[in-house]
Amino acid sequence: MIKVTDLSIRFGSREILKDINVEISDGKWTCLVGPNGAGKTTFLRALLGSQSYSGSITDDGLEVFRNHHRNVAFVPQFPQIPIGMSVSEYVALGRSKRDGWGNESKHSRNLVAEILQITGLFGMQSQYVSQLSGGEMQRALIARALVQEPTLILLDEPTSALDLHHQIAVLNNIELLKERGVTIISTMHDITLAAMYAEKIIVMYEGKVLLDGPSDQVIHSPQLQEAFENRINVFTLDSGRPVIVAKKDLKN
Amino acid sequence: MKLKGNESALSPIWNWKITALSFALLFFVAILAISFGPVPLSFQKILRTLFGLSGGLTGQERTLLIDLRLPRALLAALVGAALATSGAVYQTVFRNPLADPYLLGAAAGAGLGATIAITSAGADLYNLLPIFSFIGAILAVLVSFFISGKFFAEPNSLLLSGIAVGSFATAVQTYLQQRNSSSLRPVYSWILGELTVANWQIVTWSAIYILIALTILVTVSKQLDGLMLTDDEAYSLGINPNRLRVIAVIAATLATATAVSASGLIGFVGIVVPHLVRGITHRVTNRGLLTIALVGASFLVLADLGARTLLSPAELPIGVITAFVGAPFFLVVLRKKRLVTQ
Repeated sequence: MIKVTDLSIRFGSREILKDINVEISDGKWTCLVGPNGAGKTTFLRALLGSQSYSGSITDDGLEVFRNHHRNVAFVPQFPQIPIGMSVSEYVALGRSKRDGWGNESKHSRNLVAEILQITGLFGMQSQYVSQLSGGEMQRALIARALVQEPTLILLDEPTSALDLHHQIAVLNNIELLKERGVTIISTMHDITLAAMYAEKIIVMYEGKVLLDGPSDQVIHSPQLQEAFENRINVFTLDSGRPVIVAKKDLKN
Repeated sequence: MKLKGNESALSPIWNWKITALSFALLFFVAILAISFGPVPLSFQKILRTLFGLSGGLTGQERTLLIDLRLPRALLAALVGAALATSGAVYQTVFRNPLADPYLLGAAAGAGLGATIAITSAGADLYNLLPIFSFIGAILAVLVSFFISGKFFAEPNSLLLSGIAVGSFATAVQTYLQQRNSSSLRPVYSWILGELTVANWQIVTWSAIYILIALTILVTVSKQLDGLMLTDDEAYSLGINPNRLRVIAVIAATLATATAVSASGLIGFVGIVVPHLVRGITHRVTNRGLLTIALVGASFLVLADLGARTLLSPAELPIGVITAFVGAPFFLVVLRKKRLVTQ
């Protein structure tokens, strides 16, 4: 269980996160949603342990800053594309923590080949990462995270570079991890997709947590309207699945 | 997710045969270099002499080998390995395929140090030239570090301050040269790079510093791949990117400063060799850092052989050879493989 208590982060005079208190349970998919600038990415980096903060973030009682005891995979929204690196090398980097840097075992290489197949990248393994399209790059990132066999995976907008078909494919791949007890925390612009996959949604607005609860409750809560400044409509399909659509009129 | 029997495993990312092959290449090139010259020496006799067997070289030939050709070939190998490795490491650390070992002001600092040693009339400082240029190189890089201040937040700021410090040192150097026009020729020939000064003393202290630096760099080489990612990704894969950057830059600077003070400015090795090894192996460099060191060593030993023999008995500056041969060759590879942009 990850427990966040009075978390605040400042960059100079700007307060990015203000007094956040949430609990994130293991083996579940938790989604951070909110408009741009709400502080979702900063929150994710704090959960990774690479961002300093005031307050506390504990994972099973241990403070996470520079000290995560779990194998955490991180999928950034804007990755640095390494020059001259092949797809297989890139994905194999995910084994670094388990096998030691640059010492992939036979088992690891089998795993890399298998994950390349699952993510539809097999056959591209000798291409340079820099030659991949946006969607292929996103799948390479997911593949690297899967290869890492993490117990916690943090994803920053994992579907933003993808078309509809690949959004579902990637999210299904991530969902596979849940079956193995992996804790998933992602940010997502698309609340409809968030509601489809995540058990829990945390709505953030201007550095604060506005709402925090089970997905279906959050989706139908009036406060969701507040977070998006009344610019969304929530519909429910016959199947019971909620759909969130932006309003065209921006005047109110 | 279970393994299916029919799925083939990925072949290993780095093939160690390549490293072994580059070792063999260096050995071959080195033997070639010490046997060729105005007085040719036989392969067989050289090997016998080196391994202490009977029937080796004697008299003048032996002196020629032990006191002239061997230290020179060793110095070329050390300098080549140092420059190629530092180049590759800087390219990774600064995420810039055009980074070269002289980037942080090391070259200009060494040049200023050398100029001070050469122009200081009265005192015989010429013998201290290597020490002056070594101190100049280290000082210039330290000043670059000090000025940039926010290396961690933005590696490019260190790069820019390196360029500024370099320009400043070059300006002072030019001023000193103008004031002492008799020093122009020795400074100029030092700038073009020379290995003629090679003796066992220089080889020994170069070897100590360069081998320490290379050992550190090869030890962390596999982790350097992590610096090609964002810091958050690197952190999640288990490395501390800031600490790794500092270690890598310090070791690469030590190697560069030693190389530059022992042999002057030898251009192009630090860019051409890493890209060549990348292009041929189709692998990102860091796992192959040892191979880059060995190929860099071979490249410079070969270049020095050319410098000694092409216009014999006159000698070409080795920097002329590395650029004259290296540049067109590099351009061909660049065109074929489009290395830099991908």
